[in-house]
Amino acid sequence: MIKPIEALQAFAENKVDFVLIGGMAIRSHGSSYLTQDLDICFSRNKENLQKIVAALAPFKPHLRGFPKELPFVWDASTLNQGTNFTLETEIGDIDLLAEVSGIGTYADVLKSSVIMILYGYNINVLSIDGLIKAKRAAGRIKDLNILPELEALREILSDEEE
Amino acid sequence: MKRSIEEKLLNPKPGSKVAAAKEFGIDLTLLIRNLRLTPEERLNENQQAVNDLIIMNQQMKKSRSKKGN
Repeated sequence: MIKPIEALQAFAENKVDFVLIGGMAIRSHGSSYLTQDLDICFSRNKENLQKIVAALAPFKPHLRGFPKELPFVWDASTLNQGTNFTLETEIGDIDLLAEVSGIGTYADVLKSSVIMILYGYNINVLSIDGLIKAKRAAGRIKDLNILPELEALREILSDEEE
Repeated sequence: MKRSIEEKLLNPKPGSKVAAAKEFGIDLTLLIRNLRLTPEERLNENQQAVNDLIIMNQQMKKSRSKKGN
């Protein structure tokens, strides 16, 4: 069983500076897209890295696609050494990105976000405009296939049609 | 007169992005349904649907391995 919502709540509880991106952001705007992982864009400041470590530690994260025997230390120092981390945890896959293609760093992604109330927290979620930019920049078939639905959502929610 | 979101999805204007999405194969009735939910309800449904698929996949694998024995 996957429980990405628990990770989302853990980030919020630990006051992590993050923006919800990817499939769950797409879904939160009303798309029918199904996703099994949680993607976030995070601030790389030292205090925030400590908060991310605390938030995910209970779910025993390790690098996805690497042998489990391979030593992996889940701490702020490890997070400080990279920008993007694809993790496997006890509650499902979680991707941590410090930069989003087509948008930029956390500060840029935050500017392209909207606030949604989720599970009692104000959570920054990448806007439909931001998601369209990111998906266009990613350019894979699976990213491009979601564009017609996102563009339709943008049109109806922003009154572009009138 | 301004059309409601549901009217826009049920009767897309020719040349609109909604019409393009319909042409692409997006089920617009699902969008109508999803937009009636709160963002939280949309995420809850996603998690439930993915877990249902995982369980179904596991059951299919079990069934195949039984047949193989």
